[in-house]
Amino acid sequence: MTSNGPLRDPAHRVSPKAVRLWLLEALIAFVLLIGGSVLAGGWVSGSGWDWVPDWLEGRWWLLPLAVAVLTTPFLVAEPFVRYAVHRWELSGDVVYARSGFLTREWVFVPVSRIQTVDKAQGWMERMLGLATLEIRTASHAGSSTINGLDYVVAAGLAEQLAHRAEALRDDAT
Amino acid sequence: MTGPSQPPTPPPPHDPAHRPPPAWHGPPQGPQGPTAPGGPHVPDPGDDGPVPGLAGLPLRLSPRVLLIDPVRMLPSLLLPFVGLLLAGGFSGTSYGFAALGLFGTVIFAVIRWVTFSYQIVHDRLEIKRSLISRSVRTIPLERVRGVDVSTPPMHRLLGLAVLKIDTGASGGEEEGKLDGVTLDEAERLKVVLLRRAHATREQGPRTEEPAGPTAPAEHTVIGVPRRWLLYGPLSGAYLLTPFALVGGAIGLAFQWGNELGFGRDTAWTVGQWLWDRPYLLLVAVLLLVAAMPFVGGLMYAVFNWDFRLKRRDGYLVAERGLINRRSVSLERRRVRGYEIVDGLVERWAGVARAWAIVTGLGDSSTRGQLLPDVPRAVAFQVVADAIGPYQATLRPHPPVARNRRLFRAVFPWLALTAVTGLAALLTGSLFWWVLLVLALILAGLGVPLGLDRYRSLGHGFDGHRLSVRSGSLRRVQAVVERRAVVGWRVRQTWFQRRAGVFTLIAGVGAGKGGYSAYDVSPAQAVDFPVEVTPDWLAPFLEGSNAP
Repeated sequence: MTSNGPLRDPAHRVSPKAVRLWLLEALIAFVLLIGGSVLAGGWVSGSGWDWVPDWLEGRWWLLPLAVAVLTTPFLVAEPFVRYAVHRWELSGDVVYARSGFLTREWVFVPVSRIQTVDKAQGWMERMLGLATLEIRTASHAGSSTINGLDYVVAAGLAEQLAHRAEALRDDAT
Repeated sequence: MTGPSQPPTPPPPHDPAHRPPPAWHGPPQGPQGPTAPGGPHVPDPGDDGPVPGLAGLPLRLSPRVLLIDPVRMLPSLLLPFVGLLLAGGFSGTSYGFAALGLFGTVIFAVIRWVTFSYQIVHDRLEIKRSLISRSVRTIPLERVRGVDVSTPPMHRLLGLAVLKIDTGASGGEEEGKLDGVTLDEAERLKVVLLRRAHATREQGPRTEEPAGPTAPAEHTVIGVPRRWLLYGPLSGAYLLTPFALVGGAIGLAFQWGNELGFGRDTAWTVGQWLWDRPYLLLVAVLLLVAAMPFVGGLMYAVFNWDFRLKRRDGYLVAERGLINRRSVSLERRRVRGYEIVDGLVERWAGVARAWAIVTGLGDSSTRGQLLPDVPRAVAFQVVADAIGPYQATLRPHPPVARNRRLFRAVFPWLALTAVTGLAALLTGSLFWWVLLVLALILAGLGVPLGLDRYRSLGHGFDGHRLSVRSGSLRRVQAVVERRAVVGWRVRQTWFQRRAGVFTLIAGVGAGKGGYSAYDVSPAQAVDFPVEVTPDWLAPFLEGSNAP
C-alpha cells in the first residue's frame, strides 16, 4: 500500500524483462482492437442504415481512430505502471505480493497454508525467459499469482516454497 | 501361497454363503467365523480377512425400487385414455407404444437392479455397476464427510430412501449414491458410514472400536416450532411459485394440446381473446401477485416442515421436509463457521436464517442450511450452541464508505433519469415520461437503500472467530474461525483509490472461499489482518527490515 499506513512495499521487483512481456501483450491487444474496429467501422459506414449520421457516412477510419486515441495511453502506460506496482517478497514464511494496474491487490499467503506451487510459462514468457508462479491454497481468495518473474528466480522460489511448505505442513484448511 | 495345504476342508474365504450376515455390530476381534470350522491351524496369515464387524455380502437395493420407474411411467400410459375421454380419438397405436414403453422400463429397471450392488469391505464402500460396462466405485470410509438421506414422495410411499455419500470431492460426479434402500438400511448405513469415518480419522488405521449396539448419542439442538413457519413468506423464497405454476401450465397446454383434443390454434385464440381484454389480464396478474405470499408460504412450509437440528457423534444433522423428508449430516470437524442471512423484511420482523460454512461441501446452499426463518436471538443462540458464539461487536466502516454506497445506489438511476428525460423532451412520447418517473422513483429509493447498505457494513474479531457483514436487500453476516483463514487479499479499484478505501478479503478454505469487508479505511485494512493473524503481517509492517 504505497501511501498506506504502516505496511511497507514488498522487497523485490519482478524481472525488468516483464515490461517487454507486457508491451508485447499490449501490442497484440492493440492490433486486435484496431482490426476489430476497422471491420466494425467499415461495416457501419458502408451500410447506408438511416440511423447512421451523415458525417460518419463513408468515413470508415473514424471509429478505429477514436479507439486508438482512447486506448493508446492505457496500453502504453500499463507495462510501466505494472512494473512499478508488481513486487513480491518471502519473509517470515509468508509470501507477500502486490500486483495490478487500475485495480491493485496485495496478497498475503503463509507458507504453512500452501497446497501447491506451480510455475507456468506461456510461449511469450518462454521467449523472454520469464515464468509465472502460482501459489495455491484451499481458497481462491488466499491464493497468489506472481507474473513476470525471471525463470531462474521463479524456479528457485518454487523450490524453496515447496520445501518450506512441506516442513510447515498445517492441516487446517 | 503357503496357506492351502489342506485344500478341501476350509470353505473358500470369499464364499458369501458362509459369511455371517451383515452384522455390523458384531464383536470386532480377529478372524473367526468362516475360517474357523475347517482349518484350525491356518490362522489366515496376511490374507486380509474382512473385519467381521463391517464387511458383509454385496447388498442390493430394495426390490421395491423396481416399482418406482414403472409408476413414474404411468402418466404417459394414461395420456391416450385422456385423449379418448376428451376427444373420442382413441388411438390403438399410441396405447401400444405406451405399453411397450412401460414394459421396456420394467425390464430395464430389473436389469439395473440385478446388476447394481454395494458392499462395505474393510474400510471402504464399494458400489458395483455392471449394466453395460462394469464399474466399481470405491469410497474409502475415512473420506466420507457426510451422508444425506432423503425420501422423495414415491420412495416415501414404498418405505425407501435415497442415500447420498458426500466425500468432499469437488463435482457431484464423485459422490456415491444409493437410490432405493429401505429406511432401516439407510439408517444403518448412515450410522456405520459416519461412525467408521469418524473413528478411522480419529484413531488412524486402528480397526478396533468400542463397538456394540450402543445407539449414538443424539442431542436435538432445536426443533423449529410449527408457528414459525409463518415467517416463511418473509424470506422471499418460493414467492415466484404462482408464476412458475402458470408458466408450466401454459407450456403443458401447448405441448399436450393436440393430444388432448384441442389444437394449438385454440390456445392461440384463447391468448388473443385475453389480450383483447387487458382488464382480465390485469385481474389475473393481480390475483397471481396476491397469491404469492400464500403459495410461497405453503411451499416454504412443505420444504421446511418440522425442521430439526441435531448433534450426533461429531456430526450436525439437519432434518426437514413434509413430503420429501431430507436429512443432511455435516461433519462437525469440517464446519468452519456460519452465515446469518436476513433480508429487508426479515430484519423488520426480527427473524433470520443460518447456513454452515463447511469445507468441501458441494451444493452448500441447500445442504448447508442450519436454520430456516427463526427469531434472530434464537438463530444466534442455536449457531452459538451448535458451532460456536461470536462475542464481539462489529466495527463500522469509515464515512466515505457511506458516500460510495449512496453513489452506487443512486447514480445509475440518476443517469437513466437524465437519458429518459432527454428522450422525453425530444420526442414527447408518453413511454419516455413513464420511464422517467420510474427512474426517478428508483433513484429516490436508492437513498435509503444506500444508507442501509452502509449500516450493514462491519467487521470484527473476538479472539476466536472473525466476522464480516454486508448487504441490504439480503444482508449476510459471516462468522469464521480464525484457523480457517488461509490468506489475506486486499483490493483497491481505481475508484476506491480516489476515495482512500480498500476491500479486505479473508481467504477461507471453506464456503465461498473468501469473505469480504467492503470499503475499510487504510488503517483497518492493515489492523484487522494484524489483529487476527499477527505473525503473518509482522514482517511487512513499516519499521521491520526487508531481508
